Amino acid sequence: MNCDTTDHVDGIDRRSVLAATGAGLSLSLSGCIDTVESVVSDDEDDQLSLSIVTVPDDGNRETVRIARHLERNLEAVGIDTSIAWRSPSEFLEMILIDHDFDLYVGRHPADYDPDFLYEALHSAYADEAGWQNPFQYKQPTFVDPSLEAQRRADGDERRQLLKPVLRALAEEKPFDPICRPDEYRVANTRFDGWGDDHPATRRGYLGLEPEDDVDRLHALVTDARPSQNVNPLSATIRERGTVVDLLYDSLGTLVVTEDDDGVSYDVEPWLAREWEWEPTDDGRMTATVHLREECLFHESDEYDSQPVTAEDVEFTYAFLNDTAWGQSDTPSPAPRYRGQVSAVDDIVLDEDDPYQFQITVDAGAEVGDRALTVPILPRHVWRAELQDRISDLDSFSAPQGDWGLVTTSSVPPVGSGPFQFESQSQRNFLHLERFDDHFTLRADVALPEPTVEELRFSVDPGSTSSVSRVESGDADLTSSMLEAHAVGDISDDSDAVRLESPSWTFYHLGFNTSVSPCSDPEFRQAVCRLLDKVWITERIFYNRATPLSSPVADDWVPDDIEWDGEDPTTPFIGTDGMVNVEAARAVFESAGNFRYDDNGRLRVRN
Amino acid sequence: MLVEVLTRVVLVVGLLLPIALGLFVGRTRLTTTRTEWRSRIRVAAPAILVLSVVLLASRLIRWGGVDSDIGFHMTETIRQTEGEFVLLFLQVATPELTSYLTAIYIYGYTFLLVFPVIAYFALSDTTMFRRLLTAYAFNYAIGLVFYVLVIAYGPRNVFVEQLLTGSGSSPMIYEHSVEYRYLTREVNQNTNVFPSLHTSLSATVGIFAYLTRSSYPKWFPVAGVIAVSVIISTMYLGLHWGIDVLAGLVLAVLCVALSYQIVGRWSLSELYGQLLESKWF
Repeated sequence: MNCDTTDHVDGIDRRSVLAATGAGLSLSLSGCIDTVESVVSDDEDDQLSLSIVTVPDDGNRETVRIARHLERNLEAVGIDTSIAWRSPSEFLEMILIDHDFDLYVGRHPADYDPDFLYEALHSAYADEAGWQNPFQYKQPTFVDPSLEAQRRADGDERRQLLKPVLRALAEEKPFDPICRPDEYRVANTRFDGWGDDHPATRRGYLGLEPEDDVDRLHALVTDARPSQNVNPLSATIRERGTVVDLLYDSLGTLVVTEDDDGVSYDVEPWLAREWEWEPTDDGRMTATVHLREECLFHESDEYDSQPVTAEDVEFTYAFLNDTAWGQSDTPSPAPRYRGQVSAVDDIVLDEDDPYQFQITVDAGAEVGDRALTVPILPRHVWRAELQDRISDLDSFSAPQGDWGLVTTSSVPPVGSGPFQFESQSQRNFLHLERFDDHFTLRADVALPEPTVEELRFSVDPGSTSSVSRVESGDADLTSSMLEAHAVGDISDDSDAVRLESPSWTFYHLGFNTSVSPCSDPEFRQAVCRLLDKVWITERIFYNRATPLSSPVADDWVPDDIEWDGEDPTTPFIGTDGMVNVEAARAVFESAGNFRYDDNGRLRVRN
Repeated sequence: MLVEVLTRVVLVVGLLLPIALGLFVGRTRLTTTRTEWRSRIRVAAPAILVLSVVLLASRLIRWGGVDSDIGFHMTETIRQTEGEFVLLFLQVATPELTSYLTAIYIYGYTFLLVFPVIAYFALSDTTMFRRLLTAYAFNYAIGLVFYVLVIAYGPRNVFVEQLLTGSGSSPMIYEHSVEYRYLTREVNQNTNVFPSLHTSLSATVGIFAYLTRSSYPKWFPVAGVIAVSVIISTMYLGLHWGIDVLAGLVLAVLCVALSYQIVGRWSLSELYGQLLESKWF
């Protein structure tokens, strides 16, 4: 429930301040009025009603407009529709943690590799909180086996094995991808080297060449959450994790290169000096990984600097699998990185060498590489934090995805990454400083390095004002991807450069497949046919987006479900965003379980 | 950026105040104020203190953010209740009107709140001054309770489509006025819409202007025009719902009534006297 009144371990007690100040307001007053009004109520003759969750205009203009488009068309076909507006973090809390929704419109962070579908759709995660299967979709007979099979393959074989998953997704619609927004940013020419690397990834902030007297990179974000909390495990305070990428190292790092043939994504050595996947006898892959030697974790008030060793790597993967470390009744996997970590079967340390270990994945090399992209956490910090919380075993519980350790802002953000945490101010800024001991600064390491003393992320109220601040020289980069409506505001004759980057995120409509009526695939298909994806890309994204029929990069999509001017499985019923009411009603009626009453309202058939 | 915006507000209001003081208050009153200000502050000290405390608390809590664990999400309830009422203002939207109401919302409102404080302080009898400060304090305090209880987004977060059409004259203040963005983000959260404090405080000043029209006859019509403009601007610019404005008006009447009830009821010196005479001492 979104209106959970229980206090978390780490609840900063503003709540009690409020309770005291608010003229004796009591927690018992709390409640939700506009949450899920659905579903089919006791009286089976009731009109069908649905609630769409979205963020307000301040959070993301495009999602509100898509939600309103869908609301209008749902109302037109006789479904009583309401919208629940939530702040970005409450929105994610409702969808990912509480699963308290019928439908939602949002942006999926996805990943560079289609294996993100594994955590998004696998039945094993239907009851977990986090980015893993928020749709609670269960199709163990024909989706799960394909999801598992594609992981174990590489290259063309994997492409073939993924096809059944994509076809099932198109037919079954646990979620419907709407469009992929073009990714634009604006950068100031005080720095050279923009666009060499993707600005949503770690490397986008490294290797930049500043002008002589510049020792600070000032980036703007339109999302206030990084200024409040940088916990790498939280599912609700972050979209894509760029800041985590800078604070923490991972074994491998994503390198996005664009050339005439298209875009390629590779995971290249980072904290690991090298690795080579070798097939095992039982069809898995294994690699001996050498860490860079004598790397250090950052220092904080509470924790001294410590070396990064294979033990930290082993700890990270085990801890992400169970953040309660075996101390609660059931394991409590982190609400992020579930897919990456699930591919890892085994990590064996080398007794003689603290920088070497053997990692075995139940996957091919491609998915194996993806497993190496999770942030490596310092064992000494997280173990101590864990100990603090489980000291009282009798009352210890670790609600999966939502317990203190994975939501708190109180764990010192200590990583080994190229930048270290300096300070933050709520809704104002996050200030990072160069970590002078980072391995990229060594003479014998030829990797892009942090070139500025200071990296500051300032919170700006919106894309439009961010653009003008970069153009006026007040800031260096709009770190958040620009909203489509602001791209047109970029002027041609300023000092700023416009960056366009390959994108893998997408807007989508998500269904809660565990409750009626959205548990019915035919109903979900009919609802998808009320989305005019062409109209949406033209009118809401001003043609700065590509309509999608499948959530992965084009070269993965099988021909028969490729976008061909309309969605081949669920084409829009109508024109120019306006639904053809008669035809659409016929579709809902033929979906089986529904009928129209004399007033044209959709009802569940008895 | 924020500093520039704040400087501009201070400059504009700083420019308007002396003109208004000369026009409405007059030299005589200002001269006596210069000799009597100490005693007037002493008498009004409790009201000043209360308002300061309320403003500080309000600032801390609003800036810290209202935790959604207490409180009801009401955006959809409000929208279902009043529908597209605020969109009626779009039918009269023009670029000139948008500029006027944007200026009123930022500068007019600040001026409207600050001027009467000085004007009533310039009256020999501090009663109105104390009532005004008390009414302000009630507005903020009661408003704050509602902000904690009611979590709702304003029409601009909901009717994006409609507010954007005809973008030339789009009354969507957020589209055009970057300074507005910085200013409101600094002082408020986007879920603090019910009730409209712009409305309730403007109406409070308006009611006081009416009640003091014998002292300041020329101020009443001016205050009236600005107050009504501010109230209209909140809806025209898509910042508040009709229901927020209605609640703001009710709150204003309530706060003025409360200030009349409370101010002058207890005198501190009398209380002190009673305390001395009482048998426990």
